[in-house]
Amino acid sequence: MLQEAFLIALWAGITGIDQFNILLHIHRPIITGPVVGFILGDFQTGLAAGATLELVWMGMAPLAGAQPPNVVIGGIIGTVFAILSGQDPKTAVSVAVPFAVAAQGAITLLFTAYSPLMHKADEYAAEAKHKATDMLNLSGMVVLFVFNFVVAFLPVYFGADAAKAMVDIIPTTLLDGLAVAGGMMPALGFAMLLSIMLKKEYVAFLLVGFVVVTYFDLTLVGTAIIGVAIALYDYYSNNSNDNNQTPKKEAKTNGI
Amino acid sequence: MASNNQQEQGEITKTELWKMIFRSLFLQSSFNYERMQAGGWLYSLMPALKKVHKKKDELAAAMKRHLEFFNTHPFLITPVLGIIAAMEEQKEDPQMIRSIKVALMGPLGGIGDALLWMTLLPITAGIGVSLAKQGNASGPIVFFLLFNAVHFVLRIGGMFYGYYTGVNALKKLKAGAKAISRAASILGVTVIGGLIASYISLSLNLNINVEGNQISVQKEVLDKILPNMLPLGYTLLLYYLIKKGYSPLKLVGITICIGVIGKYIGLL
Repeated sequence: MLQEAFLIALWAGITGIDQFNILLHIHRPIITGPVVGFILGDFQTGLAAGATLELVWMGMAPLAGAQPPNVVIGGIIGTVFAILSGQDPKTAVSVAVPFAVAAQGAITLLFTAYSPLMHKADEYAAEAKHKATDMLNLSGMVVLFVFNFVVAFLPVYFGADAAKAMVDIIPTTLLDGLAVAGGMMPALGFAMLLSIMLKKEYVAFLLVGFVVVTYFDLTLVGTAIIGVAIALYDYYSNNSNDNNQTPKKEAKTNGI
Repeated sequence: MASNNQQEQGEITKTELWKMIFRSLFLQSSFNYERMQAGGWLYSLMPALKKVHKKKDELAAAMKRHLEFFNTHPFLITPVLGIIAAMEEQKEDPQMIRSIKVALMGPLGGIGDALLWMTLLPITAGIGVSLAKQGNASGPIVFFLLFNAVHFVLRIGGMFYGYYTGVNALKKLKAGAKAISRAASILGVTVIGGLIASYISLSLNLNINVEGNQISVQKEVLDKILPNMLPLGYTLLLYYLIKKGYSPLKLVGITICIGVIGKYIGLL
């Protein structure tokens, strides 16, 4: 288990950097799931668990500096749990979330602890030491790597048997219930997206998307193309409205 | 880009622009709550600053100026870098450089959130998930390629667009910001409507006895009124609760409780 735990921790460290830098998005569960699955020798379960966890985190975007439950730790621990326990990936969601929330809290602390470094950067800048400010900026990635490495290593290494034992103790009804909750969990992500994006004038488009999938079984790409079509129509008709605004108003006043 | 050759010596060339594109990948390496991306912003702009400020005291002043609070979308950073690099090159008034930087970071942050985190990511990840759910290993690969195609077109294109359009870009972006973010919101909301219908599994496991016949409430009643009404209803309920100030964490807890209790009593 040491070797697997080490490889998973290494992957967690790399994707922990990717979460904030470079941003290839290899840190998303859709990718970390199959990679962790490959390390643990069960690619297919990793793929399925990654897909399920991806949906949960879809709506939890880092907006304006606010951190959602940590997607790297949540995705990796969730997949590890799903594979080692042999449980439905949906169950893994409920196990992943507490780890992700703890990691999120720790990242918040990390970003707070990093503030004093800016004053060191001010000192270097006053003397035009650009190599020093470069190094100072890049040093943050080392911290991110070490943090994610440690946080992923410990539960994987020490928790493998514990996770299994835990599952044996937990009644099947509870696990089935957690799977039901996992199936419902994407609703939270979508609700969070809506709470930021939805305005009264957009409700119509939410219904369009909902209806084309519910009644016509349209794929997501098809739904997105309908969305693009509406957005384009709206964009150009608004622009031409702006141009015609003055004549329209005149026409109205003349009519009255 | 022939005009580039006519530029005077010591000015920003494509080499600097490419260096800035590469460095922009590390915008958030020293992210902190005091000045957010300031450290990474200075790091990203450094190739241009070094090129245009040859005197040590000038460079020091520029470096200090660019360590002020900064925060925008990490993908849409390059147009700002381009514009500011052009302004530094023309030795514009520091106060004007500062205000342009601040004027750009808000709208671009908003557009980026709507366009990338709430539109590009759900769409590309959704496509990857729909493949992965069928056990198809190309799911993650398709996600990776689609997402990063858009990512790098924006990052690289933004740099050249920002630099060559220079200060003029500011006016264009400001005029278009509202319309672009509105279009992105429409697209995003439409896709969320589809995601609600396809990806939330919630149905009643309830049979009622009508004149000796077992009738499934889900299949015979709810689905006849509106299929997927429970996923939609639950999403809207959570939306309402978030608007009322419930924390996402609390809602995770509530969802787990409903799932476990609902299953236990045999309703879900």
